[in-house]
Amino acid sequence: MRVHLKYFATLRERLGTGEERALRAGTTVGALWESIVREQPAIQRLHVRFAVNERYVEPSHELAEGDEVAFFPPVSGGG
Amino acid sequence: MAEVFEIGEGPIDVARLLAAVGDPATGATVLFLGTTRNQNAGRRVTRLEYEAYDRMARREMRELAREARRRWPVRRVAMVHRIGVVPVGEASVAIAVSAGHRAEAFTACHWLIDRLKEIVPIWKKEHFRGGTVWIGPQQGAPEPRRRRAQGGR
Repeated sequence: MRVHLKYFATLRERLGTGEERALRAGTTVGALWESIVREQPAIQRLHVRFAVNERYVEPSHELAEGDEVAFFPPVSGGG
Repeated sequence: MAEVFEIGEGPIDVARLLAAVGDPATGATVLFLGTTRNQNAGRRVTRLEYEAYDRMARREMRELAREARRRWPVRRVAMVHRIGVVPVGEASVAIAVSAGHRAEAFTACHWLIDRLKEIVPIWKKEHFRGGTVWIGPQQGAPEPRRRRAQGGR
């Protein structure tokens, strides 16, 4: 299956705005993040939150074909 | 009047926000503006820069407004967050709430800005004299420029 990845803030600066990935069915968000970290060990220390199709999810969330998966640091909006 | 839940560049049009929550059944409107301070944690801030996950941010703002209306007898809510560069003194976020009476309008507005800062996917990068830093618990180790700035305090 294919999913669309998006990165924001610190992660965007390290990894770019996003990419497409082919994954095995049943891959979880947490497993996907671990594979990204293996490719880019420098991001290992970064705090990360996960969203799938614009909703927060836990690392155990299983991905589906066509999902939009966002990785970002804890938010810091407001004045 | 159409609902206003927006992420956008450029100065926030406060009059438009107030018009969006106007309602003859209300007796109180509370407006919160979050503005760029010229200092933070001992750093001389020159400007802030915001980035958003646009669609999710607007969806979360709508969710927060719905939740506020469930909790308090609030009539209308409007929220705008600016992205891109926000100079010192200008507003980066505006929240307007109208209600029958002031107590619930104040309470709901206070709750909305607190929750926005906790969950709406927007990030702030501070530009200060000597460097830049993303605000919030980003990582275990600071960037070199940040380290130098902190060492100078």
